[in-house]
This record gives sequence, structure tokens and C-alpha cells, in this order.
Amino acid sequence: MSATPATESFRPDVFRAHPPALFGSACTACGKVAFPPRSACPDCGAGEDLQATRELSAKGTVYSFTEVHQAPPGLPVPFLLSYVTLDSDNIRLIARLEGFEPPGPVIGTPVRLAAAFIDGEDVSQLKFAFRPQ
Amino acid sequence: MRQVFIAGAGMHPFGKHPPHVTFEKMGATAVSKALADAGALPRDCEALYVGHVFGGPVAGQRIAARVGLSGIPISNHENYCASSATALREAWIAVGAGLYDVVVVAGIEKMSDRIKGGVRPDPDDLDAALGFIFAAGHALSARRYMHDHGATREQIAAVVVKNHAHSVYNPYAQHQTEVSLDQVLNARPIADPLGLLDCSPISDGAAAVVVASATGLRKLKIRSAPELRTCALVSGTYQRGDVDVNIEDISHRAGVMAYEGAGLGPDDIDFVEMHDCFSIAEIVRLEGLGFLPRGQGARLTAEGYTSIGGPRPVNPSGGLLSRGHPVGATGAAQVCELYWQLRGRAGGRQIDGARTGLAYCKGGSVTGTDGASVTAVVMVA
Repeated sequence: MSATPATESFRPDVFRAHPPALFGSACTACGKVAFPPRSACPDCGAGEDLQATRELSAKGTVYSFTEVHQAPPGLPVPFLLSYVTLDSDNIRLIARLEGFEPPGPVIGTPVRLAAAFIDGEDVSQLKFAFRPQ
Repeated sequence: MRQVFIAGAGMHPFGKHPPHVTFEKMGATAVSKALADAGALPRDCEALYVGHVFGGPVAGQRIAARVGLSGIPISNHENYCASSATALREAWIAVGAGLYDVVVVAGIEKMSDRIKGGVRPDPDDLDAALGFIFAAGHALSARRYMHDHGATREQIAAVVVKNHAHSVYNPYAQHQTEVSLDQVLNARPIADPLGLLDCSPISDGAAAVVVASATGLRKLKIRSAPELRTCALVSGTYQRGDVDVNIEDISHRAGVMAYEGAGLGPDDIDFVEMHDCFSIAEIVRLEGLGFLPRGQGARLTAEGYTSIGGPRPVNPSGGLLSRGHPVGATGAAQVCELYWQLRGRAGGRQIDGARTGLAYCKGGSVTGTDGASVTAVVMVA
């Protein structure tokens, strides 16, 4: 583990900020990996004692994306939200996209994991995002 | 299970109402109208089942106190946008099991004074912490659907045009005006490719139905009523990275449970009240139910296949896009529409010869799954 205090991550159970990494649960009974981590395997049902923490691939591709223009108070707009399919472990997740210049991403754009302050003025929590590779 | 029937229906108009039109007042109006429609008095009712999301503690008891239903068993049910359909399922089980003969189901929501900028999952949900709002989730679905099936933005927008055209004839609808394709395409962007008119509005409203056994119908002196054939409910499952996000396995499973429960197939359903919280949602969910062929829903909608007068009408009420979407009230409002259609009481939006209707709700999301709750109600004239 990094020497940096885990409190910098908004959710240390799923995300380490320095260096950026996402954690899933790997089932030692059937070998399947899930994200976010589960207390029981969603595939074979094996219990918590058989679920190991797994660092996931930091690379993936954009499966779909949207530029969000309206959101509830506290969520500054616009921002890019996406589905990213990771290169391994058969995982797809929801994540912010950061660092894209116009005209923006397309489906299939390769991306890599990063830590980002995505809540506007609130720099108290590092969350995860994906940037162009 | 005994046979279960819908003996009456009532609604408070959907819309953005002023503060004095309270949650309790809307609920009391819908319940009172449903009781009157069934010819029932409060003392005929043995239980009250209430669905809501944002209505606060003991919502049903607050309404019951206004309409003379105090003292009986009252339960409050939350399954996000499937809340009152879930309440209906509990009523259907209890009446079918022989516990009661006459009960009331109500869905109520007051959103205009407490929801701003759209609804989203619980803040502790991982996706919500990253900025996931429901409009964004459906925008991701729409972009991928267009990519995979060659559907156009115009075809998806056709859902909005159709449902607004239907609700012109619905006096309970929030919007009772037509919109043009250009208005949908040029509306202000919410989450691209979806604009404001692709999104159901923030709404206030209430709907209620009286649920009865055959014995209950006799007590109420009702000779015949539509049968509530089944109320399916499923929850979402974990989705792997190689699964099409628009495959709608959760809708497929709800459909299978509903068709098996009703002893019918999708081809036997004359019309559908579909949870079109966003335009694209109507398309992919109809495909998941087996009501439209996969990848063809957008094109078929644009061709009028799901319009009143077309072969498979969907959302004669105007749907959530145009009737409005007070989230906890929507499931009960759909059931009111099934009831009115099957009784031939739907006025200018009546579907000729409607004998069998299906109402579908999908509520909420859970990170990594294909949804939280889906209900599929089948009613037969």
C-alpha cells in the first residue's frame, strides 16, 4: 500500500489515490472478479471469507459517454460521465472523464485511471476518473 | 391464489402544484375518488397499501386520517419509481391469499417543493458519488443504442412526440399539449444526446385503486371488473463488462414472470403502459419485454407502430414524459390507465377493443447492476 494517508480517497475500499488504483473482489472459489467489491460472489455465491481484494486494470476503453448539463445542486456542470470497460477482469464501471479537449471522446477511446477532484470547489476528497491514454 | 380484481380507480391531476396542494391532500383526493368509483365506503376497506419515495414517515397514515381509513393495517412501500406498483403487488398477494376482500392501494409524490435538478440514487451509492444522475444513465444508454443499432436521434425523439400526442386526451396529465420533433431536438440539453423533452418532468400527483376479491366485488355490488391477473416483481443482477447495457435482462425477467403468471405471451398484450422516464427507456424496455424486436424499437416508434391506432399502442396516457412522473405515484397511475382502458372509459385516448394491458415500472439503480426494481402488472378485461 501507498504511504499516503488513505483518507485522501473518497472510498478507500474501492479506490487508492496515490498511485491511482481501483479495487475489486476476486472470488477464490470461481475466479470471477467484481466491482465494486462484494461480500459474496455475484456469480457463484461464495461468501465473504472467500473474497480477496484485487487491484484492477488501470486501462480501459470508453463504452459510452454523455456530457451532463443539468444536475442537482452541489454538482457543477458540465461534466463528462462514461461507462468504461476495463482491459481485464471483465469489468465495466461508471466514471468521470477528465482532460478531454473538444470535440471530446468517442466510443472506443482508450483511457487510463487517474485521481481527480471532481466536485468543483470541494478539494477535500479525491475521486477516480479516466483520462485519455 | 384467488382471482383478484380492480374495483375502482381515482387520480389527483399530475402537475406542479402550489404549496397548499399537499402530499396528504393529493393522496386523500385520489383515495376518495377510487372509493367513490368502486361504490365503496371507508368501512368496506380492510387495509391500505401506500407507495412513495420522498413523502416522509408514515405517509399512508397521514392520508388515512383524512379519509376515514384510520385503524386498519397501513403499510408504506419504497421501491423508488416502482413504489406504488410494489404496494399493489403486496395488496394482490394479500387479497389473492384470502386475507382481505377489499383493500386500497395508493401512490403519492410531492416533488416540486423538494427535488431540484433531477433525481439520483442514494448518496452512499458509488455511482451517485461520481455524479451519476438518472438522466445521465439514460443518455449513456441512448448513445450506445444509436452506435449499436444505427438508430437516429430523431427516431428516439419520436417517443416524446407520440406520448405528448396521446396525453392531449388525458385530463390528469401534466402536459396536455402536442410537441413537434423540432421542439424535442432543439430543447435545452440535459445529458447529451438527451434534451429537456426527453426527460420526464418533476411532478406532484397521486393515484389510487380499489383491489377486491370476487367476494369483495359482491359486497360492493359490482357485477364485473377487470382482473388483476399478475403483479411481477424482480430486482437487478450484477452485470459483467461484456454485457450490452441495453440488453435489459431485468426487463426480460420481469416479462417472463408476468407472462407466466398471467398465462399469456407478449403477443397477447393489446397495449402497454411503459415506464418512459426518458425517451430511450421506453424503447429498450419494450425490447427487453419482448414487445418489440431488439434494435428495432426506435425505428418502429418513428413509424407509428406504438401509437394509438397502430398495431401495438404504448402509453395511451401520455406516459411519464407527458402525464408527468411523481415517482411514487406512477405505478398506481399506470394501473388506473389500464383500468380505464379495459372499461372503455379512456375518452379520446381509448384503444378500440382493448382487452389485455401490461404496466411496467422500473425503479432506482444499484452500482454494477442492471437496476433495482422492475414490476410488470397484467390486467385483463
